[in-house]
Amino acid sequence: MKISLEWIKEYVAVKLPFSSLIDKLDMIGLVVEEWQEKDGDIILDIETHANRPDTLGHLGVARELAAGLNRPLKEKDWSLVELDQETSDLIDIQILDRDLCRRYSGIVIRDIQVKPSPQWLRKKIEAMDLNPVNNVVDVTNYVLFSTAHPIHAFDLAKISGQKIIIRRANKGESLRTLEGKVVNLSPEMLIIGDAAKPVALAGVMGGEDSAVSDATRDVFIESAWFDPISVRKTSKETGIKTDASYRFERGADIAMCPQAALMAASLLTRLGGKATKEVFDVYPKPPQKKRIILRHHRIAELLGVEVNEDFVQDILSDLGFQIESSQTGSWQVTVPFFRVDIEREADLIEEIARFYGYDKIPSDFPPLSIPEPPREEKREMINKIRQLLFHQSFDEVINFSFSDPEREAVFVKQHPEIAIKNPISQKASCLRTTLLGGLLENIAWNKNRGAEGLNIFEIGNIYFWNESTAVEELSLGLATTGFVGQRYWEGKDEETGYFYLKGTCESILTHLRYEPFSFQEAKHDYFEEGFSLAIAYKGEKVGILGLLKSHILDFFSLKDAVWVAELSLASLFSKQPKPFQYKPVAKFPSVSRDVSFLVKRNVSYQAVKEAIDKLSLPYLERFDLYDRYSGPAISRDRISLSLRFIYRHPKKTLLAKEVDNLQLRIIKHLKSRFNIQLREGGQIDKRARKN
Amino acid sequence: MPDMKAFKNKVAKYKRDFDKSILLVKEEKSLQELRNLYLSRKKGHLTLLFKDLMALKPEEKPAAGELINDLKDHILENLRSLKETFQVEKEIVKKTDFTLPGKARYWGAPHPVHLFQEEIEKIFVSMGYSIEEGPEIETDYYNFGALNFPPHHPARDDWDTLYLTDDLLLRTHTSPVQIRVMEKRKPPIKIVIPGKVFRKETPDPTHLPMFYQLEGLVVDKGITLAHLKGTLEFFLKKLFSEDVKMRFRPAFFPFTEPSAEVDIGCTVCEAKDEECRVCGGSGWIEILGSGMVDPQVFKNVNIDPEEYSGFAFGLGIDRTAMFAYQISDLRYFYENDLRFLRQFLLK
Repeated sequence: MKISLEWIKEYVAVKLPFSSLIDKLDMIGLVVEEWQEKDGDIILDIETHANRPDTLGHLGVARELAAGLNRPLKEKDWSLVELDQETSDLIDIQILDRDLCRRYSGIVIRDIQVKPSPQWLRKKIEAMDLNPVNNVVDVTNYVLFSTAHPIHAFDLAKISGQKIIIRRANKGESLRTLEGKVVNLSPEMLIIGDAAKPVALAGVMGGEDSAVSDATRDVFIESAWFDPISVRKTSKETGIKTDASYRFERGADIAMCPQAALMAASLLTRLGGKATKEVFDVYPKPPQKKRIILRHHRIAELLGVEVNEDFVQDILSDLGFQIESSQTGSWQVTVPFFRVDIEREADLIEEIARFYGYDKIPSDFPPLSIPEPPREEKREMINKIRQLLFHQSFDEVINFSFSDPEREAVFVKQHPEIAIKNPISQKASCLRTTLLGGLLENIAWNKNRGAEGLNIFEIGNIYFWNESTAVEELSLGLATTGFVGQRYWEGKDEETGYFYLKGTCESILTHLRYEPFSFQEAKHDYFEEGFSLAIAYKGEKVGILGLLKSHILDFFSLKDAVWVAELSLASLFSKQPKPFQYKPVAKFPSVSRDVSFLVKRNVSYQAVKEAIDKLSLPYLERFDLYDRYSGPAISRDRISLSLRFIYRHPKKTLLAKEVDNLQLRIIKHLKSRFNIQLREGGQIDKRARKN
Repeated sequence: MPDMKAFKNKVAKYKRDFDKSILLVKEEKSLQELRNLYLSRKKGHLTLLFKDLMALKPEEKPAAGELINDLKDHILENLRSLKETFQVEKEIVKKTDFTLPGKARYWGAPHPVHLFQEEIEKIFVSMGYSIEEGPEIETDYYNFGALNFPPHHPARDDWDTLYLTDDLLLRTHTSPVQIRVMEKRKPPIKIVIPGKVFRKETPDPTHLPMFYQLEGLVVDKGITLAHLKGTLEFFLKKLFSEDVKMRFRPAFFPFTEPSAEVDIGCTVCEAKDEECRVCGGSGWIEILGSGMVDPQVFKNVNIDPEEYSGFAFGLGIDRTAMFAYQISDLRYFYENDLRFLRQFLLK
């Protein structure tokens, strides 16, 4: 809201330095966002609040300032040059919808010559960043920016039948507005009509036909109260926003109606017109003013400071409230109509706090009480995953949840995406159904800027419709290309790729105790065949991992291979991890045996592992693959695997013979299952190791 | 009978041979071989010379002995000196250029918004707050209705909302979680709520359609505005610095009454630049919205506002990070340029 300092001074004497004035306004809640000098005046841009329509005019701001400076608010004289005619002699006013129009006041000014406004008025209008139009229009704007009460001027000659009828529009009616736009009216809209047709959209904009023009001689000034919701709906429906609708939809001052009309009439008579005897005021059912009980002790209870009773009474009266003591320690406060925001005791306490000064409220700490702490397991697990990923050299990214439907279409999805009804742009008109799109955009962005190796991840929600439920699901996305970390002068870059990404996922599942997990080959639309895996925990699928198909890479203009994985943390976290169990450190030494054998290439390590697991050998503590080799020494259809087996007995030291027997069982089993051939002449490596 | 002359010649020959041989020695091993050739106790040339000496006349023996000793000294001195040379060479070869860069595992970088979120959370956790979260897709009721935004009220215009259906929307603030927590739990409540929020805003240096907020809520008997003030002052001092300038001024939020906005002294110009792009020359940066929980909000979750009171506050995490690190454009946070993101590893 633009506020002219000169204009304010018409209502209240401001004698403090400018910077103190700005501070004062800030500290009573009228924040000065900026200011500029204009024609010897200073124009402030004040941030006003949606619940304070009274501050949308100079009078309201002056009232606040007067209370803040403890100065009186100056009264102004709105005398008329009168005709010997009653307003009702010239026009008849009927309110047909008394809910949407609770009060309608009007006055007629005759013999006004429509011409440019005098300099003082032009300056005021220009201060509000508006262009002066003519004396009549400028006066109506002057009244609006003085009182915050919007009024409207009709050319009386254009009002058919000398009738003003406030009613809902009939179906099929339309109105050409002041701006020349034809609006189709609906019965939800309140309009001002004459005997024949609509002449204005109530509280929003007047019609072109009845507008004041250079030829106008007599004007009818309307000053009314319209229902805020009705005005807001009409404004939204028609797409017309005006200074008037902005104020009406926040709530106009019903008491101001006749005064605003009078003010306009007084100014127009000073500019040569003559007014009818008095304001014609249709006010069928004046509402009661709100009354609120204010208890003195509640002020301290809410603000944490004792505020003197005299201060409370003074400030509330300065602000226009009527305040009477009811019982000891409490008052009955009557709220003026212009304060639409005040309804409860707490609202009054805020008024007191504002003028007492937030800066004078002491600083304290809340009492020590111990609330029930919520469980934070999910957050802890997420944090553990993040730490693991940082350790694995993955950088964290955060992408917008929005997506382009075209981008989503690249990924085949199980459920439809959620569209945004009123998107910012086409590119952000739905919600992402996968984290991969964002990650690939990040890779492209960074590659275009010279990055080589990239390992990134994001933890965040993906969104989709499941039947009629809008689902948000926590997901983990990983993408990797090139090498890990930074290039090193020794030249041994760690290549990223399948095993790096798999190892990363395995590490997450292991550390969160989601075991046993598996990585099974499974076709997926995103991935190249043979490079496509499903990740499962206890047989249930929780994620995917693979090498992206080239058409996906093409969409993101990526040239190099990118491995990605996406894990549904929501479904993972909904499952029970393996309980943590401490195992005592073994007292007896372990015995290890290494064995290397040749096996056909089509036998997977997973199959070998499962075959050994199936034997459930006693004392076999663990076994690991420590080498996998193929080369000139081995026929091309075979591969050499080297396994290390660790045996341990809980209560004694195992004898070499016992271990050899177990080891033989494994070899026999593998021979019969996979027809393996032992290497190194078929001897079991007997390097027993004690640790 | 060997004579002295022949003996002398022999010594001289050994010396010449030795001097030739030692020039050919290129490594320590050959040096040892050369040493053995001359000085081995059994078959060394010098050992054999002693045998020749024994055959000389007694009066010749001292001179001959001296000759051997001279030769021995000569050999030992040369071997020693060459050995030393080898030693020095070995040292030089062994020595690496220790100024070459060391090798470390690359540590992935947390996203700066998360990093800053954690920094803020830590301060509140130290004051006994716990952390709550809630859904990003919300209903109109939780985002607005329960928070005392009447339907069709212009206050809703201040929260530009992205709608999914007539009733479902992307939450415009983390405040709905206040309602969800108060519905579930009895006071005392002392929580902070971090999370993503969404607004219908076209991205520019100071606006984003998605950003992070952190909301706080304290509900108990006897909570006052003074408690809010003390809490936020403590928080801002910890987050920025002990001497951060602050002011509380009246504001309007439908879900708090009284409401307050909190400004800090401009971290960029320190109120010295009238053209400052960050504070617009006012010297103040708006950092927090806050207030006493509105009685209507309490009624909506069946908490008696006569018995309990509370305060709530909220701040933009990205926006605050922007001021804390003097980042000129909020969009940097979501471009995910690793040259930007990785810098915060050092934080």
